[in-house]
Amino acid sequence: MASTIASASSAALTFDLVARCSTTRARASLLTLPHGPVPLPIFMPVATQASLKGLTPEQLEETGCRLCLNNTYHLGLKPGQEILAAVGGAHKLQGWNHNLLTDSGGFQMVSLLTLANITEEGVKFLSPHDGKPMLLTPEHSISLQNTIGSDIMMQLDDVLVTTSPDHKRMREAMERSVRWLDRCIAAHKNPDTQNLFCIIQGGLDTEMRKECCREMVARDTPGIAIGGLSGGEAKADFCRVVRTCTELLPELKPRYVMGIGYPEDLVVSVALGADMFDCVWPTRTARFGSAITKHGVIKIKSYEYANDFGPIEEGCGCACCKKGEGGLGITRAFVHHNVGKETVAAHLLTIHNVWYQLNLMREARDAIIADEYPAFIRRFFANIYSDKVDYPKWAVDALREVGVDLLSDTNI
Amino acid sequence: MSTPEPDGRAMFKILKAIANDGVGARLGSLTLPKRHPIDTPNFVGLTARGAIPHLTPDNIGKKSELGGVYIALEDFMETTRKKTTPPLLEIKSETIDPLHSFTATPSHMFTVLGARRHPAINSPLGNAQDSISIFTSTGFQKLTNEAYRKYVAKIRPDIAIPLADMTYSQATNPVDSKRRTNINSSKRQLRMVERTEDWLAEFFEAAEDGSEQDTPAVFAPVLPLSYPTQWEYFNQLDQDFVTRLSGLAVYGVDVLPDLSNHGPLIDLPRLSLDYTATPQEILRQISLGADLFTVSFLNSISDAGIALSFTFPPPSDLAPGIRPLGINMWSPEHEVAVKPLVEGCKCYACTKHHRAFLHHLLNAKEMLGWTLLQVHNYQVISDFFAGIRASLNAEPSTFEEDYDDFMRVYDSELPTGTGTRPRARGYNFKSQGGDAKINNPGWEKYGTDSDPALAGEMAGLAVTGAAAEGKETPLVPEVDAAELDKQGFAEISK
Repeated sequence: MASTIASASSAALTFDLVARCSTTRARASLLTLPHGPVPLPIFMPVATQASLKGLTPEQLEETGCRLCLNNTYHLGLKPGQEILAAVGGAHKLQGWNHNLLTDSGGFQMVSLLTLANITEEGVKFLSPHDGKPMLLTPEHSISLQNTIGSDIMMQLDDVLVTTSPDHKRMREAMERSVRWLDRCIAAHKNPDTQNLFCIIQGGLDTEMRKECCREMVARDTPGIAIGGLSGGEAKADFCRVVRTCTELLPELKPRYVMGIGYPEDLVVSVALGADMFDCVWPTRTARFGSAITKHGVIKIKSYEYANDFGPIEEGCGCACCKKGEGGLGITRAFVHHNVGKETVAAHLLTIHNVWYQLNLMREARDAIIADEYPAFIRRFFANIYSDKVDYPKWAVDALREVGVDLLSDTNI
Repeated sequence: MSTPEPDGRAMFKILKAIANDGVGARLGSLTLPKRHPIDTPNFVGLTARGAIPHLTPDNIGKKSELGGVYIALEDFMETTRKKTTPPLLEIKSETIDPLHSFTATPSHMFTVLGARRHPAINSPLGNAQDSISIFTSTGFQKLTNEAYRKYVAKIRPDIAIPLADMTYSQATNPVDSKRRTNINSSKRQLRMVERTEDWLAEFFEAAEDGSEQDTPAVFAPVLPLSYPTQWEYFNQLDQDFVTRLSGLAVYGVDVLPDLSNHGPLIDLPRLSLDYTATPQEILRQISLGADLFTVSFLNSISDAGIALSFTFPPPSDLAPGIRPLGINMWSPEHEVAVKPLVEGCKCYACTKHHRAFLHHLLNAKEMLGWTLLQVHNYQVISDFFAGIRASLNAEPSTFEEDYDDFMRVYDSELPTGTGTRPRARGYNFKSQGGDAKINNPGWEKYGTDSDPALAGEMAGLAVTGAAAEGKETPLVPEVDAAELDKQGFAEISK
C-alpha cells in the first residue's frame, strides 16, 4: 500500500523512502542490502562473536531479524582473520544468510585496553599478553571487515567520550575521523558488495557536529552513522546532537545512531529522524533475568514472579509468549525458576527481548506509514507511565521540538 | 474415547522378544494417553530444573526426536523465607497437565517424574523412616512419602516413580558421579528393601481413597541389590500390586534376568535408572531386557565439548584401529573445517552448521556451542536406539553380532573434553572441601590498576556475573602480540 516516494542507490545498497511523518521527522523506508531487504526504522541485535547469545540463527530469524551486528574486535581475536578468510567470511561461519553489520573495532580497543592512545597512524595499545606495543590502523580495520564480508562496515573513528571537557582534543578527534574515513575508503576492497558507513563525531558541540556532517556528507558514503553517543551524556544533549545531525543529512541515506537501545530512546530518536539502532542492553538484560515489555522492564528474577503463571508479556507475539499454534507456553514462573541456573532461561528472555525491540520498530514503521506516529508516541509513553507527571523531561522536551507535545491533552 | 487403564500390559506392547523366557533384549511400543507412542528400546531426555540443558522447548520439539523427559521433583522444591510453597504446586492449569504446563514440555512428549535427579547428589543426612533426603538449590530437605504422593496427584506427570530408599555415589566430579556405588552393608540393604516396600504400599493405599481421574502410570522402583535381597519385594509386586503397575523403574539392571521367576512382571516396560557411562553400557542393559533409558552421560558430554560420533551397528568398512565414541570439538584441527560434525548426520547442527563454527563457539565460550552440541548428541542417541531397534527387528535378529561388533570397533570410554565446561558448578552440584577447581578462572587482574570487568562495563559490554559460565563475552585477547600481528588484527609498532 505504501509506495516509494523517492529512491537512491549506490553500488551495494538501495534506499527507498516510503513515508514521512507529517508532524515529526520520522520516516519509513526500505533498505536493500546485499543479503536482502531491511525495513527501516530498525533495531539491530548484537551477535558479538558471531552468535546471538545462545539463539540459533533460525531462532533469530524467527524474531524477524534480517540485520544483526558482529563485532570486528571480537571476530579479529576469535576466530581471527586467517580462519575467517579460510571459512569464507562471517555469514558462512555462523550460517546466517541475512545481513550483517560490523563496527570498526576501535571502540572496544579504546575502552578496554590499557594504554590505548590514539595517534594519526591509528590506535596504539599494549598487547595484554606480552606488553608489546601494537597499532591498529584504519587499513587493518577495513581489511578485517572486508574479510568478515559484512553488508555494512563502519569506518575506524577516533572515539572520545562525548562528555570530555577537552575541546581541543574533541576537535582533533573529529578532524582525524574525517581523515581516517578517507583512508578507510581508499583501503576498502569490495565497494560493490559491502557498504562503508561514515561516523559523525564532534561530541556535544553542535557547531562541531555540523562541521563534521558537512565533511562526511561530502565523501558520499552509502550510509551515515552518528557516533560517540550513549557514553553517559545527558539525554537532552543526546537528543540535541541527533536532531542537529539529521537536519543536515541527505534524506535518501540511512541514518544509524550507534549504541542506542532503550525503547524510549528508540521511539524518540525515530521522531528525530534516525533509522537504525543497535545495543547490547536488550540481550544483556535478558541474561540477567529482565524482560522488556510495553509497560516497562520487569525483573523476572525477582521473587514476586515465582508464582506468576502468565506469559512473559500478555499479548506479545514472540515464540515464548504467543498463544496457540507454535506458541511455547512459557510462563514467568518457569523463567524465574531457571534464571541464573539454566541457560535456557537466558535464551527464552533473549528471544522475547529481541522480538520486543524489533516489533517496536515494526509498529513504529506502520504508524509512520499511516501517518499516525505522534499518536503512536503518546500510546507508547502512556503504556509505560500511568501518570504524565512521570514522563521523562528530556523526552517531552525533545518531542516538543519536533511538534509533539506529550503533556497536552488536545493534539493527537 | 476412554482413557486406557494405567496398566502396563495395555500401555506397553512387546513386539518381539529375543529370549523366550521373557527376559533379554526385546522390541516394544509404549503408548501413554494423550502422548505420541514411542518404540522401544528408546530413551527419555534428562532435565535439569524442568529444562533439557541448553535446549529451549522449541528446539526440543523441532530439533529432536525425543518422546519423553525425566523430571526430578527435587528440582522444584526449594523454599526460601519469601517463597515457602514450591510454585510448581501452585500452578492452576485446566487444559494442560500442571507439570507439562510449568516446564513448557511439548505436548506430544510424556513426562516421567522421580523424586530425585538422575544421577542424584548423595545426602549426608540419609533417608528416614518416612522420608527421603532431597537436594534443592537452597540445600537438603526432607520429602515425606505422603507429601510426594500428594505432589504427584497434583502435578500429574504421565509416569510417576514412587520413592525408593537409595544411597547415591558420594563422588562430585562429573566422571565418577556417573558410576554406581555398591551398598555392602547387609543391614542397610535390608532396610532399603523394607522401606521401599512400605512406601510403595502407602503410595497405593493413599491413592485408593481418592477417585482421581487421570492418575499417572506408576513405575515401581527396583533396587540396585541382589535378587536374594529383594525377591520378597518382587513377590509383593507380582502378587499385590501388579494390576496397578504400569512399569518398573530399575535402579540396578543386574537383577533383570531374575524377573523370569515373576511372570506377571515380565510384560511391564522397564525404565533403566542405572548408571550409563557409555553406549556399551546401554547395550549391555538392553541385552538384559531394559526398554527405556535415561542416558546419564548425554548432557555432560555436550558440556564437555564432545560431538558423539558412534552408530549402531558400527560402520562396516574395515578401517583398522579402535574408533573413538566422540570428537573433541575443542581441538584446533576443526578451526577451518567447513564440514558437518559427523558426515551424514541429519541433525540441525550438522546440516546447517559446521565444525569450524562449533569450534569457534566453544573457543569463544558462546552458549550456542552447547546448544548445537546438545542438538547433535541427542540425534546421535536417537539414531543409536533406532539402529538397535532395526537390529532387533531383523529376521533373524542381528543384535548379538552387532553388539559384538560395537564392542570391538569402539573405544570403551567416552573422550574427555579439553576446554572449560559450563554448568560445572552451581545449584546442581555439592562441593566438598578440597575439591579442585574444574575450570580455570575466566578473569584475572591485569596490570596493577586496571580491571577489565570495570572497563568492559564502562564500554557498555556485559562482563560481570557468569563470565566463567560462558554467558558473557571475553574481551581481552588471549594471544600475544606476534599472533595478533600475524592475524592482521593490528601490527607490532616499530
